[in-house]
Amino acid sequence: MVARVRKLTWNAMPDASPGIVSARNVHRRYGEGDAAVDALRGVSVDFTAGRFTAIMGPSGSGKSTLMNVLAGLDRPTEGTVALDGVEITGLDDGKLTQLRRDKLGFVFQFFNLLPVLTAEENIVLPLSIAGRDPDKAWVDQLITTIGLDDRRTHRPSQLSGGQQQRVAIARALASRPAVIFADEPTGNLDSKASDDILVLLRRAVDEFGQTVVMVTHDAHAASYADQLVVLVDGQVVEDREAPDADEILDVMKRVA
Amino acid sequence: MLKVGLRGVFARKLRAFLTALAVFLGVALMTGTYVLTDTFTNSFGQIFQESNKGTDVAVVPREVVDSQQGADPPAMPEALLKKVRGVDGVAEAVGGIFSAGVSLIDDDGDRIGSTQAPAFGASAQPGRFEAFDYPEGRPPAASDEVAIDKLSADNEGLDVGDQITVSGSEAARKYRIVGIAKLGEVDSFGGATVAILPLREAQRLADKEGELDQISIAADEGVDPTELKRRVAEVMPRSVEVRTGEENAQQQTDDIEDDLGFLKVALLIFAWIALFVGAFTIFNTFSITVAQRTREFGMLRTLGASRRQVLTSVMIEALVIGAIGAGLGILAGIGVASGLNSLFKAAGIDLPNTGSVVKTRALVVPLLIGITITLLAAIIPAVRATRVSPVEALSDQAIAPTRRRRRFVTGFAVLLSLGGIVAICIGLFGGIDSSSDAAALLGLGAVLMFFGTALLSPRFVAPLASVVGLALERVRKLTGRLARENAVRNPGRTATTAAALMIGLALVTFVAVFAAGIKSSIDDAIDKSFAADLTLQHDDGFSPIPEAAAREVKAIDGVGPVSSLRFGEGEVKETGDTSFITAIDPKHAREVFKFEWDQGSDAVVDQMTPRDAIVDQAWATDNDVDVGDTLSVTTPTDKHVVFTVRGALEDTADLWGDFVLTHQALEDDFHVRQDGMILVDYASGADPTAVRKSVETTMDRDFPVIDVLDQGELKDRIGEQVNQLVNLLYALLSLAVIVSLFGIVNTLTLSIYERTRELGLLRAIGMSRRQVRRIVRYEAVITALLGALLGSALGIFFAVIVSRPLADEGFNLSFPVGTLILLFILAAIAGVVAAILPARRAARLDVLDALAYE
Repeated sequence: MVARVRKLTWNAMPDASPGIVSARNVHRRYGEGDAAVDALRGVSVDFTAGRFTAIMGPSGSGKSTLMNVLAGLDRPTEGTVALDGVEITGLDDGKLTQLRRDKLGFVFQFFNLLPVLTAEENIVLPLSIAGRDPDKAWVDQLITTIGLDDRRTHRPSQLSGGQQQRVAIARALASRPAVIFADEPTGNLDSKASDDILVLLRRAVDEFGQTVVMVTHDAHAASYADQLVVLVDGQVVEDREAPDADEILDVMKRVA
Repeated sequence: MLKVGLRGVFARKLRAFLTALAVFLGVALMTGTYVLTDTFTNSFGQIFQESNKGTDVAVVPREVVDSQQGADPPAMPEALLKKVRGVDGVAEAVGGIFSAGVSLIDDDGDRIGSTQAPAFGASAQPGRFEAFDYPEGRPPAASDEVAIDKLSADNEGLDVGDQITVSGSEAARKYRIVGIAKLGEVDSFGGATVAILPLREAQRLADKEGELDQISIAADEGVDPTELKRRVAEVMPRSVEVRTGEENAQQQTDDIEDDLGFLKVALLIFAWIALFVGAFTIFNTFSITVAQRTREFGMLRTLGASRRQVLTSVMIEALVIGAIGAGLGILAGIGVASGLNSLFKAAGIDLPNTGSVVKTRALVVPLLIGITITLLAAIIPAVRATRVSPVEALSDQAIAPTRRRRRFVTGFAVLLSLGGIVAICIGLFGGIDSSSDAAALLGLGAVLMFFGTALLSPRFVAPLASVVGLALERVRKLTGRLARENAVRNPGRTATTAAALMIGLALVTFVAVFAAGIKSSIDDAIDKSFAADLTLQHDDGFSPIPEAAAREVKAIDGVGPVSSLRFGEGEVKETGDTSFITAIDPKHAREVFKFEWDQGSDAVVDQMTPRDAIVDQAWATDNDVDVGDTLSVTTPTDKHVVFTVRGALEDTADLWGDFVLTHQALEDDFHVRQDGMILVDYASGADPTAVRKSVETTMDRDFPVIDVLDQGELKDRIGEQVNQLVNLLYALLSLAVIVSLFGIVNTLTLSIYERTRELGLLRAIGMSRRQVRRIVRYEAVITALLGALLGSALGIFFAVIVSRPLADEGFNLSFPVGTLILLFILAAIAGVVAAILPARRAARLDVLDALAYE
């Protein structure tokens, strides 16, 4: 009910101030003619700063595509995307790259880290890329937050999957980005490790004031979020507040 | 399995192509060498056919002494002509001259033609014996007339009716050009200039008055040339050879082929070097791709393919790649032949080229060799592919080589290296008689050391890469660091790639250090032995100069002591070898030369008679000759003379050859009347500048082919000649270097492919395209510099070892630091160039595709 009201209100007030991540009428088509696939068909979303949003949907729903478009990793065929007040749809590759470097944080499902660098070096990687010196105190705090003080000089091959993901989150936080995008961050982990990750993401929002957008197919993971967006066949079908696990399961049953 | 193998090739066309290129260059050089030398031989064959066409029987001097310097045997007395004419069946017999040492001089006083090509004087032959064709004008008749070769005429813009200076053993004179001559199809005889003169004039200029180089005989109607040959031989002395016209042409062609044989071997060595480096590159590429296709091979084995079938599929891939590379190579080889020809022309060696001769042998042999090398290089990786177990198809991890195998490899590598050093030492110090055998041992030793170092090199990768990487990291912190880490990640792979470059650079370093040593030693020797202000020598540095020149110089005002050196060869019974002999004028030699005595003193020179010899101490030691011993020498005029050894010299520049005789001895017994080199001192109190000017003016006027040099200029001149040869060697070695650069491109491309996911991640979190390119570029530079480090270390090592036995002969080791530094800079630049394509590829990766890559 609340979700439906939200959708109506937003459509009725097109010039209402957008959130830190906003997309308007985004289409993404792959291929041409008969073989064309429409991964996103007119998606509009709005995420407020300082909140944890989960994007869910069955296979082929376009959730990963949506995240890629929002993060500037992919360009929409139609529509606009704005991040932290900047419209990114018109930017060239160079500017997009800079944007990702300075304003975004990423956590992927696997292969998040460079195998040749230590945990600590991986954490400050975005800063190294920008040629900036890291704030030692901040990095130390991050390492303590993720609980890997005794492993900061270890290489990824010496860390477990869960530990690697924690390092990835610390890296995402290191540059104090505007938004952190996480694509199935718990997909490869067991339930204990998953929980550690989700707790960390939650802390990122609650303690560090970050905005987190997470794509997931796991209802339990989504329950950590403040807001749930559900995609089916390239369109938003649900956009509701503070879902709990049961609600999510209901929603998913309905759309499957 | 055939299909799997073939598909493997076409799936990665670019990779296959780059790998094929590794064999391509070596094969192309090999084919080019065969085509070029076959063409030369054919062209010379044609020339000799042409020049002998009117001759049924030829009488030529017999070569008594096997000349190392390529000198002609002494001429025959003219009196023989009368005897020949008296033989039954002889229709006509004429004598002819064809000698080196008669030069054409242009208006500036410079010799026409390149400094490396000889200058011939030939006599015009009557009618049927005339070897030359005259597209313009006619043969010379009067004593002031000359005909010149078409190439010289074209190059200098000379025509019939023009005046030209011709210089020989008498003071230079002007002649009128009455004809332009060709020899059959060719404009010139291998780039040599020819001055055609009437017989008497030719004899005069060649210092062969009363002598002949050849007697050409035409048989009467119906008389068989072979029969006539027999009859003529009956009345000829032992000092000459009688041949039919055809035999003569054949013999002359064979002689040239022998001379070219040396060239062929030298070029083939470079082709083999390029192939050797190519083999390294192919081995490396296949190793990498086999490692990357672990899953594929595991899957094949899971599906039931036997080990042999897996081996076959990899070998088929190797076969196809080898066939493509070698196939393209033999096609390009024909182009390479003309490239080589231009290279030699630039170095002053202009050989006749009457259209390419491509024999089947020239195509088939390199093709087979190229394919075989590719197969051999691929064997070890192919065997590794068979070791992949079915289970590995399912795992994500790459197989790490076991500890045990690594230790075995290290031990083997050390063994190889030691074996190489031993082979080199035996070749150098083992007293091996045949110089080609010794050279073969040196080559073998070098190859073993290359293998050994290559196998050991992975151990050096980490520390060396750190050293190099550190410098890069200073400049670009992150990208330098990542490049270094990537290079160190798989030390075996980086090392093998660098090793390919190491081979070429080791040889380049060796040549550079050796050449520097040669120049330095010669400079030292000149300082030590030459006490004269001026040196006069032929502008090509080795041809003889007429003795009239020395006489003229002595007469110049302000000239003090003058003494000359003469050069000859003779076979020494005690050694069984041909020795190089220098002759001095005992009365004046000490005024311009400083003798360094090992045994004896300057008094030996003062008391020297025509039957005395002074030996080079190193040669004497090698051949067990002592003061007081005798040397039984057979001279080129077939005389047997015994000389007594009176003293031994320290010959630091090999100036004195094997031993020293007097001018008198050389003139009487060896028929050498011309000087090799004249040394001149200014008279005390004379004005050096003025005297020098006088000497130069006189020489320019009468003997333009003679250069007047002071000691500094002499050193420079020799330095230039060494440089010319060295540059030629560099050019040939550059092929091997280029092959190894392809190897770097290959390795980089393959490892980028492997790191697709990582590169995607870096781009996702904000690394720019330029930064990605930089990482790849720096990786290439690190690899290249690694190769340069190992290569220069090996090259210096080789130079040091090889110079040990030569140290006795005064060879100083000298390190051309500037050249070595330049080498490193060039290696770094080469790395940058090699990285261009792979870097672009890495930067162009689509981020999303890369992230999704598994």
